[in-house]
Amino acid sequence: MISAYYFGAISLVLIGLYAVLVKKNLLKILIGLSIMETGVNLLLISIGYVSGRSAPILSEGITPSQAVDPIPQALVLTAIVIGVATTAMALSVAIILYEKYRTLNIEEIRRLRG
Amino acid sequence: MSQVASLLIALPLISAFFVPVLKQIKKSLIFPYLTLITLLQTGIAGWVFYEVYTTGKPILIYAGGWRPPVGINLYIGPFAALFILIIAIVSFLTSLFSMRMVKVEPIDKYAMLFLLLMLGATGMIATGDIFNLFVFMEITAITAYALTAYNKTGEAAEASMKYMILGGIGSSFFLIGVALIYGVTGTLNMAQLAEFASAGKIMPVVAQVGLSLIIFGLAVEAELFPLNAWAPDAYQAAPHPITVMFSAFVVKAGLYAMARILYLLQKVNGWDSVLKLLLIMATLTVIFAELSALRQKDVKRMIAYSSIGQVGLIALAFSLGTQAGVDAGVFHMLNHAIVKTMMFLGVGYVGVMVGGTRIEDFRGLGKRMPLTALSLSVGAISTVGVPLFNVFWSKFRIIVATIQAGFVWPAVLVLFASVVEAVYYFRLLHVMWFAGEGERIKEGWIVVFLLLLALIIVGIGIYPTPVWEIVKRAGSDIFAVKVYINNVPLLGVVQ
Repeated sequence: MISAYYFGAISLVLIGLYAVLVKKNLLKILIGLSIMETGVNLLLISIGYVSGRSAPILSEGITPSQAVDPIPQALVLTAIVIGVATTAMALSVAIILYEKYRTLNIEEIRRLRG
Repeated sequence: MSQVASLLIALPLISAFFVPVLKQIKKSLIFPYLTLITLLQTGIAGWVFYEVYTTGKPILIYAGGWRPPVGINLYIGPFAALFILIIAIVSFLTSLFSMRMVKVEPIDKYAMLFLLLMLGATGMIATGDIFNLFVFMEITAITAYALTAYNKTGEAAEASMKYMILGGIGSSFFLIGVALIYGVTGTLNMAQLAEFASAGKIMPVVAQVGLSLIIFGLAVEAELFPLNAWAPDAYQAAPHPITVMFSAFVVKAGLYAMARILYLLQKVNGWDSVLKLLLIMATLTVIFAELSALRQKDVKRMIAYSSIGQVGLIALAFSLGTQAGVDAGVFHMLNHAIVKTMMFLGVGYVGVMVGGTRIEDFRGLGKRMPLTALSLSVGAISTVGVPLFNVFWSKFRIIVATIQAGFVWPAVLVLFASVVEAVYYFRLLHVMWFAGEGERIKEGWIVVFLLLLALIIVGIGIYPTPVWEIVKRAGSDIFAVKVYINNVPLLGVVQ
């Protein structure tokens, strides 16, 4: 039996991939990319989960043996920031594309060919 | 003392943050500053190269003094030392050329992204930790997206968007691969990972899936067949100096990372089938790229396809799984970096002077810009693989290694692609030297560097042995995982 966390995370990745592959509108493709990144981050976090333990912050009453794996959380923090940066970059390019081509349909944005 | 080598990462990072300050003071200082920093980087890289090759020991840098696998370590072995030096030299040359070729505002952002691109590629080659590799890969990728779109034309934005979507999917897949491998081993350090793999402690299925996903993710950066559609567009639309950096080291960093992770896990069951996958992708890359180059009207795009073809050849050499193949692949990486630096700089220079890079613009170039045309011809003849030029030796070694490893069909197909390559390069030579007339255009000091690179190409072609000795040591750095594990002292592990 696959854990619901893994199943959900991989489903999000696949939904995102589906949107990137099938949608024609550029913004929908970018939304797909974002969904994919979210799925990957959730997968990373769920890999570090140990059933029944608390957040890895050492304070009163919580010892290292009672915390979940802290490494994936550091990884996800980095990956989230990278994802936001990529999305911001992609959106600014989408604005330029709309100014130059007057459309966001990827089938009409085709000046480079050959 | 050897910790000084961490300046290879620190120097571009700090100096990139000083660019906005410098812009407030005086704008015309930015390009001399860029040249100075890349020159300094070349100096440090040269020192590191000398140090690694004279002592024979890799330089290890521990971030924050934490020993691996707890902390992140940088591993500058023979391979990394060689390629960091190449990255630094190519960056220095392109920063010189940028003064003539980049006229579009804002120049300060260009300089900043330029330094960060150099930083990302250096980090990718030096790092010894797979998540750190992901971070450096994203630094490289995001700066590359921004620099592709730098010209602010519709075409540039279109190319950048294609690159971004493919790169986004690729990096997500890479991260899933990292997550799987972390989940099954509990480590991100490459040396410890290799140790677990040789001890047979990794579940083979997870290792195979993780490895395939990582290769898939890196293949976007490394321009392998199904994922390289962004590359010709990006090469055509990006500023000329940036094209040089893409071809000379961004691709190489991706290829190296791919080869490194692949060979770390070589003891895992089913590793051969991952190699086969890469072999098929590499062969298809060579054939598709060379056939597409044949029908190009734009010279920059044509050379971009040719560059992808050469990259496929390197990937083929890495996917053989033998020492001879890896050595030949590293040799080709080195030669290709030199040749394509010169070709793209030459084509970019013609593009700036004549005002375009279509094939008609190259008509009669032999009479108009003889020195540029001469160096372009040397590059073209060398890429085809004519004896007495450097690429001949590496191509020859790759073909021999492929046949020795028992793959006759890939060798035949790659040789066929070389013939196709000869056709379009000789067409370019014909257009340059035997067609058209033209006024003489005055060539500037930039030509000196082009001729110098051409001289290096011929020099390596005539005396390949000294370079081959260096390359063999760099190649064994990738192939001999046992040595790599022993070189990285792991905390709490008895050797």
